[in-house]
This record gives sequence, C-alpha cells and structure tokens, in this order.
Amino acid sequence: MGKGGMSRGDAGDEEEENMAAWLLGINDLKIQPFKLPPLGPYDVKITMKAVGICGSDVHYVKHLSCAGFVVKEPMVIGHECAGIIDEVGSEVKNLVPGDRVALEPQITCWQCDRCKEGRYNLCPDVKFFATPPVHGSLANQVVHPANLCFKLPDNMTLEEGALCEPLSVGVYACRRAKVGLYTNVLIMGAGPIGLVTMLAARAFGAPRIVIVDVDDQRLSVAKNLGADEIVKVSTSVQDVPEEVEKITKAMGARVDVTFDCAGFSKTMSTALAATGTGGVVCLVGMGHNEMTIPLTPAAAREVDVIGVFRYQNTWPLCLELISSGKIDVKPLITHRFGFSQKEVEEAFETSARGGTAIKVMFNL
Amino acid sequence: MADGGAGIQESKGDGREENMAAWLVGIENLKIQPYHLPPLGPHDVKVRIKALGICGSDIHHFKHMRCANFIVKKPMVIGHECAGIIEEVGSEVEYLAVGDRVALEPGISCTQCDLCKDGRYNLCRQMKFFGSPPTNGSLANKVVHPASLCYKLPDNVSLEEGAMCEPLSVGVHACRRANIGPETSVLIMGAGTIGLVTLLAAHAFGAPRIVIVDVEARRLSMAKDLGADETIQVSTDIQDISEEVRKIQSAVPSSIDVTFDCVGVNKTMSTALSATRSGGKVCLIGLAQTEMTVPLTPAAAREIDVIGIFRYRNTWPLCIEFLRTGKIDVKPLITNRFGFSQEEIEEAFKTSAGGGSAIKVMFNL
Repeated sequence: MGKGGMSRGDAGDEEEENMAAWLLGINDLKIQPFKLPPLGPYDVKITMKAVGICGSDVHYVKHLSCAGFVVKEPMVIGHECAGIIDEVGSEVKNLVPGDRVALEPQITCWQCDRCKEGRYNLCPDVKFFATPPVHGSLANQVVHPANLCFKLPDNMTLEEGALCEPLSVGVYACRRAKVGLYTNVLIMGAGPIGLVTMLAARAFGAPRIVIVDVDDQRLSVAKNLGADEIVKVSTSVQDVPEEVEKITKAMGARVDVTFDCAGFSKTMSTALAATGTGGVVCLVGMGHNEMTIPLTPAAAREVDVIGVFRYQNTWPLCLELISSGKIDVKPLITHRFGFSQKEVEEAFETSARGGTAIKVMFNL
Repeated sequence: MADGGAGIQESKGDGREENMAAWLVGIENLKIQPYHLPPLGPHDVKVRIKALGICGSDIHHFKHMRCANFIVKKPMVIGHECAGIIEEVGSEVEYLAVGDRVALEPGISCTQCDLCKDGRYNLCRQMKFFGSPPTNGSLANKVVHPASLCYKLPDNVSLEEGAMCEPLSVGVHACRRANIGPETSVLIMGAGTIGLVTLLAAHAFGAPRIVIVDVEARRLSMAKDLGADETIQVSTDIQDISEEVRKIQSAVPSSIDVTFDCVGVNKTMSTALSATRSGGKVCLIGLAQTEMTVPLTPAAAREIDVIGIFRYRNTWPLCIEFLRTGKIDVKPLITNRFGFSQEEIEEAFKTSAGGGSAIKVMFNL
C-alpha cells in the first residue's frame, strides 16, 4: 500500500499504468503514475471507485502538514474510499475478484501493546492512507490487506462505502462516550464530523440531540438530518454563559454527553459548562493544541473528558447501520467529480471553500 | 445535625454539660462557643467526637471565609474529618448501639434526586456537608448525624484512624474511578496529604509501580517512607516539563497508565497529560485553579481520558477494611496533635496552615 511509488511508466506494457493524485507542494496536486507494491499473500488489489475528501486532506494540500505530520516528499492524497476487488493474494479466503469493498485506511503492527489489546488505532507505527509518509488512495488502484477490506451488502453503493470512513469517527466516538437510550446528546459543530456524530448518536438510541454552530446554513442541514434542536452560537468566549442557558433550554433536560467536533477553547469551555454533572465531554475535533478552559469546575462535577483518535473495529457496524437504513449518509454528498487533473483541482477547491460543500466525492 | 445553632443552651441544672464547638466567626477567627444540637431524629445518632483532623479546605475557610463557591456568611462550626463514640441512638436505629466507636461520613445527600438515586450521591446539589457553609461542621463535643453515615470501627482501628477515613476516602474514590489494579502503573503529582492518601490507596488497590513527584524534597522523603517506588523532585517552571516527563517515564519499566494530579495547576496537568501513555487516564483531584491552560488536544488525540473527582462515595467500608487488615497504615500521616481548648485550636490551625513538616494535624477531644 503505502510502499508504492512513482513509476517510470514502463512503455510497451499491455496493462495500463496506475495513476494517482499526488501532492507535490502547497496547492499543487498532479495526476501521475503510481507504482503499486507487489501483492502479498494476505493482500488484495482494489480498483478505486469512490473517494471522498476529508478536512485533513484539504489541510495537507493547503499547508503540507496536519497535526504534527509533515509532507516531506510527494505523496498520494485521499483515504475515504471504496472499490472493486481486482486480484486477491494467495492466502485470501474471504474475498474474491469482483467483490465491492469499503477500505479501512489504517495498517497497524498487530504486535505492540495497544494493538494486542484491540486499541490498534493508537498503534505508534500505524500506516494510514495519506498521512505522510504513507501514500493515500485517490488512485486507479491500490494494494491493501484483505482484513481491512469490508464487503458491501448489495443494497449499498460504493459512495456509501467510502462514507464509512468519516461515519466511523462518529460511531467510535459514540461508543467511547457510551451513547445510548439514556443519553441526551449535545454536539458542538455541524460540519461533516458533527453531522456523522449526530447520525451515529441517533442510531445508538440517543433520545434527544441538540447541535450548535456559528453558521445558519450548517444548522439548517443539521435540522434536516434529524437534530431535535439547533442553536446558533458565536466565536466569542464572553458568550459562553448565555449560550449554555440557550442550550440547556433547547435540550429541556440534562446534557449527558457532549461531543466537541470543533475543538477550540470556546467550544470546549461551552461543552464543559453545558454538560450535566456526572456527564461526559468527548473531544473529537482538533482545532487547537493548547486550550484555556475551565477544567477544574467540570472535574469537580465529575464531568469526564474523553479523547478519541480515529476509530477501531467500526466498519462492520457502519455497513450494518447503512444497509439497514438506520443511517442515511447519502445527503452528506454535496458535490461529485471525476478523476482528471482539472476535476481533482476543482474538487479540492470546492471542499476547501466550505460553504454548501459537506462531502465532496470522486467517482473513478 | 446542621440545624444546630450558636444558641445559648439552657443549663438544665442536671449536670449535663453544654455542648461546645469551634466556630469560625471571621477571617482567622475561631471561637469555642456553645453549639445547640437539633433534636435526635429516629434515624439519627448522637456522637461524642473524639478525633478530628484539619483539612486544607478547613484552612481555606479559616483564611478566606470561603472555599471555591462556598462562602461563609454567618458563624459556622468548622471541621469534618472525624470519629467518635455513640452516646444516644434514635428510635429506628438498628445497627448501632451506645458505646460504639464510629467514623463519620460528613455529607448528607438528599437521597431523592437523579444523582442520588443513581448512586452518585457525592454530586447531589442539595448536599449538606460538615463545615461547608452553611452547614455546621463537627469540631465539637457532640454532633447529631444520620446513623447510615456512621461506620463502626473494629477494635484494632483507633479513633484517630477513624477520622483519617475521610481524607483516605478521596484517594480510594479516585483509585476506583481510575480503575487502579495490578496492571496500572501510577504517577502522582504532589506529595501533600491528598497525594499521600492516593499513594496509600493505589498501593492497596495493587498498583505495581508508583512514582510520586513534588517540588519539596521533604515531602518526597515521607512519600518514599510510605511506599512510593520512585520519587522525583520537580519545579514550578513550565519549561521543565519535557525533561521531567523524560525522568518520569524512565522511572517505570513499562509506561504510566494512570496519573493522579493532586495539585491541579497548569504545570501539573500539562505534565500529567504528557507523561501518561496513550489510552491511559489522568485523574484530576486537586482543585487549585479554575481556568487551566493545558495541551488537551494532543492528549485527547492519544485517547487519554481526564477523569474528575469530587469527594467520594461508598468508601468508608473499604477504608475501614484496609485499616483493619493493615493493608493501609495512615498513622504516619498524623504529625501534630492538639486538645480542644481555645488556645490549642488557634495553635492547631496555625500549625496546619503553616505547612512545612505538618501533614495531618489531629484534635483529640
């Protein structure tokens, strides 16, 4: 997977060259050849059909870095993907060519303490699609371990398969925060992550969900996707007490779990103040590194702060939730592009612009 | 209990002594004055207080007439870490008898709200807690208290040890919330009384390795005597965090699974968040600062959970059991003793507030 590289393009070969979208510099994406590593016995080769753009992908394009990871050499972008199996390794038993699969983007060592206890998302040696120096999957084809490819039920599209990745963030957060029939949920931020968290929370049984954002349009989308109440908030820390009052009123009950899907001092401060005594605040968003927050009053009410990083063991559940109709992710896809130089550039510009764009999807 | 007042107790002329208590009447102003007890309810007991320890929060009330959001607006009896002997039992009290030696859990919760019914009564908003205004405390000859919050002491556990159950409960509750066990290596920030009871509790819960840090060498020496595996002296300078984290991490063969911040300032929390392994827990016990500036996001991105601690719940039976079996020895924490007289209470509070070599200052009544 990540070991593929820029090929020289062996001429005179019947097989067409595998092409990928390479990040070469700031705002500089180029479709170029991508040489795949040989297929291992436990690998599969997948023809990519649907790839979504994530906020982190956009961050890399704009800054060549994201959360401490730095792009030091050309790297294939993209990680939210699904495709069709082209070839299977010799030991692969549960997948065959033609199978439609969603891909979990992280390859971990399976040997360290974190992996052995099932928290493989915390593996220090994780190789994640499009987190440098590992190549991503916005390409014609990739090679990937078979056990990280999940067969799509017939009634699921490949685009829905690609959406399993962002949905996994919401699903995993709900699991860590123990969302269920007893938990009223507050969500800070109605961007893509706030929205998938909301969809997941509802699927987990949350009786009441209030979502807040600074943007009316995003709030309107959230309402259409099932939020019980929406509250418009500001970026000013001075407004926290007033907003907590509005939120409490909108919820009409105790806030049991709050997801901060933005991750700024303001949103965390609001989350800590708004969450009921004995509740949980789950920090999902990674806005700021250092935050100035009223942590002590929250701790003195035994409001715990839970962190989440990506996800683990979520694909089977995501497939079940989508194929059973419990979650409908299709409305999240607002823009579609094909896989050409011009469209790749336009797609990233569209995603970076925000506005009405939620999930920008490539169809290859 | 709390409804007792600074009344002029009618001398009944039957030789019954007037109940006296230590009243906080102003900043750094304690006066032993009469304390009129409420009538004994059917589920109450009357306890003659024999041992009472001074807590940092008592000192805070003493010095500032407030502690966090609790403000002393009228004279209040101070003190809450106590044990004594039952003098009288209410008509419905079944499991306690006159003469029983008991340790007291200071907080009376409402038992009716959602939190109480859920078992998290320490978070009850209507909590009446000894020595938290406006509820009178227990540095008195006698108090009236619900029988269900009085726990009988085994013969081999002294009344002073009974009084120590209260601070020890903070450590025990924290270890429970943080799931301390044979697989959790522990780091403790701060070797004051709370750091030390957390150390004792973590050890009793089976933590295989305990590292404790403090700015003062003397406190670390006491911690070492009480069983810390490693002690590291740290500074108050934020610049030193990386170096200190390095020292802390090399003090354990594996990694730090749980950190208890028994201080609660930016430096200690930031150190805690950096030193703890991914997937671990940081337990915030110390409540020094209100707003904190901490690198929360990198810690959350390593799935470090921050667990809050407020007092304790359902801890007395376990504390008493630890003391009975000798699994925990709290006696070394009692460094100074005083009797119950005007002069001695003033000296006791001065000693406790002065810190230094004083850990737990205990009244013997």
